[in-house]
Amino acid sequence: MAEFLNTYGPLIVSMVLGALLGLSLYLPLMTGQLSLASPGFYALGGYIAAILSTQVFPTNEGSFPIPLLLLEMLIAAIVSGILGVLVGIPALRLRGIYLALATIAFVEILRVLSLNLEITGGAVGIFGIPQPFASPIEYLWVALPLLLISMFLLYRLEIIRFGRAFVAIREDELAAGAMGINPTYYKVLAFTLGSILAGVAGALSAHFLNTWNARQGTFDASIIYLTSVLIGGSRTFVGPVLGGMVFTALPEILRAVAETPGLPIWLAQLLRDGRLIVFGVLIVLGTIFFPQGLVTPDLLKKIKRQEQ
Amino acid sequence: MNLTLFIQQLLNGLSIGSIYAIFALGYTLIFSILGIINFAHGAIFTLGAYLTYALMGEAFGFNGLLANAALPIKLPFPLALILGSIIAGLVGVAIERIAFRPLRRRGADPLLTVVSSLGVALIVVNLIQYLVGAENYTFPGNTFGNLPASINFGSGENPIPIRTVQIVIFLVSVLVLAILTYFINYTKYGKAMRAVAEDPTTASLLGINTDGFIVLTFFISSFLAGVAGTLVGSSVSIAGPYFGIAFGLKGLAVIVLGGLGSIPGAVLGGLLIGVVEAFVPGQYSAYKDAVAFGILFIMLLVRPQGLLGRRLIQKV
Repeated sequence: MAEFLNTYGPLIVSMVLGALLGLSLYLPLMTGQLSLASPGFYALGGYIAAILSTQVFPTNEGSFPIPLLLLEMLIAAIVSGILGVLVGIPALRLRGIYLALATIAFVEILRVLSLNLEITGGAVGIFGIPQPFASPIEYLWVALPLLLISMFLLYRLEIIRFGRAFVAIREDELAAGAMGINPTYYKVLAFTLGSILAGVAGALSAHFLNTWNARQGTFDASIIYLTSVLIGGSRTFVGPVLGGMVFTALPEILRAVAETPGLPIWLAQLLRDGRLIVFGVLIVLGTIFFPQGLVTPDLLKKIKRQEQ
Repeated sequence: MNLTLFIQQLLNGLSIGSIYAIFALGYTLIFSILGIINFAHGAIFTLGAYLTYALMGEAFGFNGLLANAALPIKLPFPLALILGSIIAGLVGVAIERIAFRPLRRRGADPLLTVVSSLGVALIVVNLIQYLVGAENYTFPGNTFGNLPASINFGSGENPIPIRTVQIVIFLVSVLVLAILTYFINYTKYGKAMRAVAEDPTTASLLGINTDGFIVLTFFISSFLAGVAGTLVGSSVSIAGPYFGIAFGLKGLAVIVLGGLGSIPGAVLGGLLIGVVEAFVPGQYSAYKDAVAFGILFIMLLVRPQGLLGRRLIQKV
């Protein structure tokens, strides 16, 4: 068991973080809005944690105090939330593709800033972020409760008034508006909640990965997390959680598959080095054949019925 | 800033801006017909540059599957540019077939089409990387034949040298823009294309082959991306398979500035962003890439329909 945890500990924690990022993209999608900003807020949260823990908080010998880690996550949440509102309002007053465009601009501006500012360490990034835990797997003490609480809140959200309003806007924004739902308010709310979640996940990731740089929140990352949500399922929170976990583990899975004996060399090589090509194919096939993703509300209902 | 430097920077800006313009026109054509943004456009831009490079008979590096491979033909630059862009256009047609048409047939959410185009972008870019590696490729020194490296636009004692490449780029872009404007405004096909953009259902009732014109639009759009990619690649270098993605994102700022779906808007937006970027002072040049996105944000705040766009009125 100990050996298993040592080998797969980092992967398990990454999968939990992947699920959190999946959820952060799922929130704006609940209102039918495509956001590509999650990796941006993730990067931002990471920089906040990295800067605070290496430059602001006193670093004594031994492990980094956990209350300070939680404080960093709280600060990351507040900053991400404020920025989420600022980015969300201009883009979400408008209907259509504008949120995707605004979030792309946001991610790019953040990337250029983090590459050039002194405080973010430029292209090199920030090194030696102090560790609150002795081994990677122990990060689950923070990551897993965070995921479970988020999942529980989303589960609740889907059945209360707020969540219903989100879905109404996704189905028909005009009709929802006519029913007395303020679309801009709810769209900004959903987007901001997603931003907060991504920022918090980023703050935790910075400690987990030990270094942080401008490669953390790129356009590529946006597409990969979007894939995980869409393939997993964008109609219930279970989809993004499963999708985020599976897609985080997918490089490892592909590597394992590539090592199966008897596989043609070109195929093994494609699986090893052409991971992103496979992702792209999955996105195109997924949108054409599974527009609601693999985990749909109908599927969950079916499973529930069988259990009874 | 003295006058020489001013004119130089202005011409530099117009040169890069004219590439932004033809590139953004590709986005605009598809947006005006389908109401979606084709995120694979930046990937086609990359593809066009690599195709032209390959058609000129240049060899690829030792990374990737096609290590050290080179085509047996050595086409001169203008021919390679045209042929490479035509192939890029055909790839665009294939993309329409595979990733757009099935969704359109089903009347799917436009969001899904956007996502599908993101998937295509990921495939194209990484396939290029897989085949020829991620290194920089520079077009050969004699790409533009025996033209001098720069041309003096000032007088003898007050020289204003401009790189020849910049002038070639500007002239090619203007030529492409002129042909396209003529085609869209003054030919039967252009008129039909505008009709499809205005209202596909009515257009098809009037006997216009809507699907055919959507294919044509994808061809022209991807052709333009191929030309733009080649021009940028030949003036600087092909900075790896991802260079089109960054350029593609900037193209989004151009169309938001000009107005989504507006053809003159795309041209104006492209030239404006090119010139603004050229006048970013040297000590802030690292932030140059953020300027276009800052402009995008400001436009969303003050004038979301863009400089020349129509205000969209949602009808129920």
